[in-house]
Amino acid sequence: MDILHNLAFGFEHALTWQNLLFCAIGCVVGTLVGLLPGLGPLATISILLPLTYSIPTGGALIMLAGIYYGAQYGDSVSAITMKIPHASSIVACIDGYKMTLKGQTGLALFTAGVSSFIGGTVAIIVLSFFAPMLGEVAFLFGPADYCALMLVGFVCVSFVTTGNLLDGLSMCLIGVLLGQVGTDVNSGQERYTLGFPFLAEGIGLVSIALGCFGIAEITKNLDNKDERTPFNGKIHLLPTWPEFKRIIPSALRGSVVGSFLGILPGGGPTIAQFAAYAIDKKVSKYKDEIGTGVIEGVAGQAAADEAAARTSFIPLMSIGIPENAVMALMMAAFIIKGIQPGPNMIAGHPDLFWGLVASMWVGNVFLVVLNVPLVRYWLSVFKIPYAVLFPSILFFCCIGTFSVNNNLDDIFITALFGLIGYIFLRLDLDPAPLLLGFILGPMLEENFRRALLISRGSFEIFVTRPISATLLAIIAAFVAWQVAAFVAQSRRAKAARAGLPGADAVGAADAGAPQV
Amino acid sequence: MNNRHLLRGLFLIAISLAFGIGALQYRIGHFDRAGPGLFPLMVSCLLLLIGIATIVRSRYLERLPMEFNYRNIAIILASLCGFALVSEHVKMIAGIVFMVFCASFAGGHFSVSRNIKIAVGLVAIALVFQKLLGFNLPLY
Repeated sequence: MDILHNLAFGFEHALTWQNLLFCAIGCVVGTLVGLLPGLGPLATISILLPLTYSIPTGGALIMLAGIYYGAQYGDSVSAITMKIPHASSIVACIDGYKMTLKGQTGLALFTAGVSSFIGGTVAIIVLSFFAPMLGEVAFLFGPADYCALMLVGFVCVSFVTTGNLLDGLSMCLIGVLLGQVGTDVNSGQERYTLGFPFLAEGIGLVSIALGCFGIAEITKNLDNKDERTPFNGKIHLLPTWPEFKRIIPSALRGSVVGSFLGILPGGGPTIAQFAAYAIDKKVSKYKDEIGTGVIEGVAGQAAADEAAARTSFIPLMSIGIPENAVMALMMAAFIIKGIQPGPNMIAGHPDLFWGLVASMWVGNVFLVVLNVPLVRYWLSVFKIPYAVLFPSILFFCCIGTFSVNNNLDDIFITALFGLIGYIFLRLDLDPAPLLLGFILGPMLEENFRRALLISRGSFEIFVTRPISATLLAIIAAFVAWQVAAFVAQSRRAKAARAGLPGADAVGAADAGAPQV
Repeated sequence: MNNRHLLRGLFLIAISLAFGIGALQYRIGHFDRAGPGLFPLMVSCLLLLIGIATIVRSRYLERLPMEFNYRNIAIILASLCGFALVSEHVKMIAGIVFMVFCASFAGGHFSVSRNIKIAVGLVAIALVFQKLLGFNLPLY
């Protein structure tokens, strides 16, 4: 009954008219920006982050969360209607777009909206049970355990976002190194500031996020020069009763899968979608039709997406360690507002915590009652030509960077990271792990130094403590598996080459699957 | 410039050396009393290893060309820096107008009347930010 009491307390905070307004604004603006080509949740949140600076803390967090779900939903809308492949809703492109080709756009959008609602509701129940419980567990964590947990996060995020351990890990490490810029907290020594006084406090997160995700994306889209044809089809939203009944089982399965995968380190919406889609393909009543554009193909993944988006708040709010790049950005936003996420957040700011949980559900309701029926109007965003859009996005990047410290010098840093982000894009390196590394870097260093201080310089502490030993064993097993997979693959490729002299190119092209 | 995997490895090595050599300037200390240089040095070494591994791996992978379009990124960066400079020395409204005009060179077709419309719209948004949302923008 504690939980009901807590949730009621949360709704008391979430249902004030200001917070409702912030939630609605966040959902709508998030959806609109999330719809724009090339802007996934990360870019959307970083562009809209400045909007929350002048809002009171509770409202700001609620609005940010609203922006996140809105962006997530906007992403799936553009995937369903126009097959714009965003990193965060690749799966929605498969069946969703096939449904559009069949003329069932409205049904697909309705399914996505309702499944999101179901997924979100299940996730909130999970969240209100597990977050306080995990918060208790977090008190058992020592510095060495925190280190190991962050390393697990790095490895998982690297693998999940890039599919390639080396590339992702290298980006995490670059992020950690960038996090070193500024004053060392232990000795007061200024590191890597090159004598610039404005670097003494470190590089601003907003500069990195806007540079790597906003500016680099804009430039990539300009390079591609592909004008998209706006969606002009009819949208008939309401399904028939038998159609509606088909949504439920698939959505419930997706919610459970998504809620679980959202909690794991490196987890989050993307991997949850794939898992839910794969499970639906195995166990659904209509499994043979999935892939041709059926309700189940959309419902399961949409529910998993939304559920994982919410439960990925659990590690952030109860342990204080973000598990993916979006959560790292959220953590930075929390810190900008003066809240340190972690085991003490639930006890120290119960109004914020439970208010946020309740507002997640309110945000869900807004998505269903506001965004789903109005989706045809939202789609007119695509009628704006890119020539108008990109100066506006640039403008928001500038204002966003400037208003963190009211400092114009920060814009130069954003420009620099725009260049770096563009180089990353051209080298095929995904900057999302960099953001996680940047946020976790200082925490990793602090806990690492503290752990070694406790153990008087002996690395044994990392293997004698049960929690960190288990986590490190997971990493070791993972790395060993990756190396073995790569060796086996290159051997097979070599064998193929030796057998068939002409099969050179084929073997090399095959090497795309698991790589170290 | 025709092997993206190799370039990636070289890029990683360059970053790791830049940070690693920088770390040597600071006190390293011992493991039980780490100085400010120890942690960045360790991370740089790890990154160096990954960079070397990437180069080794690039020998086993198909060569992919690296494309780099200097024009668009240069224009975008110039419009950002121009915005900051003009805002600092003149006022932010002038900065916005400069940014819109400069950035639209990247868009393909340049149109003065459209640029004026965009600039007016953005200045209006900036005014809303300043007056209603309490942003501290030095607009005029």
